[in-house]
Amino acid sequence: MTDAVSGELPVELVGVNKWFGAFHALKDIDLRVREGERIVVCGPSGSGKSTMIRCINQLERHQEGTIRIHGRAYGRDLRENDAIRREIGMVFQSVNLFPHLTVLENCTFALTWVRQMPKQEAEDLAMEFLARVRIPEQARKYPLQLSGGQQQRVAIARALCVRPKIMLFDEPTSSLDPEMINEVLDTMVELAESGITMLVVTHEMGFARKVADRVIFMDQGEIVEEAPPEIFFASPRFDRTRLFLSQVL
Amino acid sequence: MSEVVSRDTPLAGQPPAEIFRPRPPRAAPASTLGVQGWVRQNMFSSIPNALVTVLGIWIVYAFFDTILTWAVGNAVWEAANRRECLDKVGRSGACWPGVIAWIPNLIYGLYPKDQVWRINLAGLVLVLWALPLWLPRVQSKALIGLSLVLLFPLLVSYFFLGGEKGVIWSALIALGLAGFLWALLTAATETVSGLSFSRFAVAALGAGGGSDAARRNGQLAALLALYVVAFIAVQALSLSFVPTRVWGGLFLTLVISGIGIAFSLPAGIVLALGRRSRMPLISLLCTVFIELFRSVPLITILFMFNTMLPLFLPVGVEVNQLLRAIVAVCLFASAYMAEVIRGGLQAIPRGQYEAASAMGLGFWQATGLVIMPQALKIMIPTIVGNFIGLFKDTTLVSIIGLFDLLSMSRAVAEDTRWLGLFLEPFFFITMIYFVVCFTMSQYSLNLEQRLSAGERR
Repeated sequence: MTDAVSGELPVELVGVNKWFGAFHALKDIDLRVREGERIVVCGPSGSGKSTMIRCINQLERHQEGTIRIHGRAYGRDLRENDAIRREIGMVFQSVNLFPHLTVLENCTFALTWVRQMPKQEAEDLAMEFLARVRIPEQARKYPLQLSGGQQQRVAIARALCVRPKIMLFDEPTSSLDPEMINEVLDTMVELAESGITMLVVTHEMGFARKVADRVIFMDQGEIVEEAPPEIFFASPRFDRTRLFLSQVL
Repeated sequence: MSEVVSRDTPLAGQPPAEIFRPRPPRAAPASTLGVQGWVRQNMFSSIPNALVTVLGIWIVYAFFDTILTWAVGNAVWEAANRRECLDKVGRSGACWPGVIAWIPNLIYGLYPKDQVWRINLAGLVLVLWALPLWLPRVQSKALIGLSLVLLFPLLVSYFFLGGEKGVIWSALIALGLAGFLWALLTAATETVSGLSFSRFAVAALGAGGGSDAARRNGQLAALLALYVVAFIAVQALSLSFVPTRVWGGLFLTLVISGIGIAFSLPAGIVLALGRRSRMPLISLLCTVFIELFRSVPLITILFMFNTMLPLFLPVGVEVNQLLRAIVAVCLFASAYMAEVIRGGLQAIPRGQYEAASAMGLGFWQATGLVIMPQALKIMIPTIVGNFIGLFKDTTLVSIIGLFDLLSMSRAVAEDTRWLGLFLEPFFFITMIYFVVCFTMSQYSLNLEQRLSAGERR
């Protein structure tokens, strides 16, 4: 808390607790993410890693503690919460493209309806990001006409269109066929090199080694261990982390 | 890039890989292709199947042979009364002159003959108003469709009813007429120039060069001018009063079912959202309404509204009988529609709402732009099925003394000249019901195909 720039941290969680009914899903989570930092969150299923990510853009509401995005804390004011979460882009495991809209319309959707950008301008911007994920030629197709990997790349472009300052990835490759995982990971690596703040929940340890500034291991709703990848993979402190790594590597 | 994150690197020291060449596809066996192949596979694949096919063809033939012999082959087309028909062919052929003589009544009920043009005109207005929805160059289709649903009833209520119109009703009728004129003009200007009517008017008058505000005022002025023209036209128009008691036949059936259909969809959407609401009171109210109206037969609701509603109203206040029937049908249909829509909403994955929400869309935007379009699309067959059911259910209003298509067809048999002529009018209205319902179901199929463009690979 003595950090002078603490108010300007992109993401800051202080003493966050979350229950689903009686189940204690997040226990006293403290997390401080610096500008441009790339964090990989891993852990067994049910460890609370997705819940934590989803709390950061308030898809799940936490019951105790404070979550601040660039110094602004989520509270009771829903409009303020909506304004805060507009700085955050999210990519889901289940992709969640809108099947009734074309790829291009998916990308311009938030620009048109949330930012009220004129149609032509929004389309130009969307095409720019579709080019960045290398599928501009699919712009007029519908999501279900694309492969799983292409869909997830469109989802990344869609999230980037509103120029978020923070990107959240919730197991973006877990629902994909093995042959399509790399094209999505490559896109994410490129994104990481652009300097955006990223929080990625994933089991892709190769990705963590390559791009993460910090790896966080969670179990039973707690952050067990956090360390830079070289230390995390070489000499994990806890037996629980070692057991997990022995299973996924 | 890809070798950096590549998860599986091939092991060194393996023998050089062989090259995999996929086999070219072969043509399917000839016996499974073409009409012959289809017939053989689907109709005569085994001896029992062949027998069933032959039996089926024979049943279809026998059925249509009997019907057609009666309805066409042995039918009488010209006769003064039923006696003449019976003398000619007995009961082996249909007696159509009775139906033909009654066609005006089957369609318009007891509506005064010299006023029937008003109904026809309303039909023409409906067709013209809806026509731009199918014209490819028209852009304001959503607005035209909305104006049709909201404003058409205002206009035709006067066509149908006529009589004294106060200032408020005049204003509403004028709104309807203005809407109609706007739809036609917009369809015309958009086809010609790509501009909606109000924009076109501003551009044509040379006011387009001004500021945005000036242009907007110009557009408003154009719409206002249209309304004034419509208001003056409505003032000049004077139609005689036709009480709803003489409305009947297909006309009445279409009025009741049309209003029921137009009302039940939006009301069903509101009720379905209400039932899923997290606010307990709203959810409870909607659930109680839906379950109450779904658990009671339509005929009971019609009776309740017809006989019991007056008991609850203050003395002297009388609600038109047709209106009571329409309200009953609307409430009943909305309850059913609500459950259909809720089914559709249930089928949309939670992730869709989360994705919209993560983009910063509020509840209403996410529901209106993401969830509802998908829910309505997957429920099209069921929604249209409900519409068809509603259209046929309106026959129940005959029980409370309204002369819909069904009651009119029974009235033929009470005409002294055509005494006892039941079968032919029934056959005739069966055809009418079939044509209307079949058209609806075909349109729904067509709509489904057009909207499922995104699912085709």
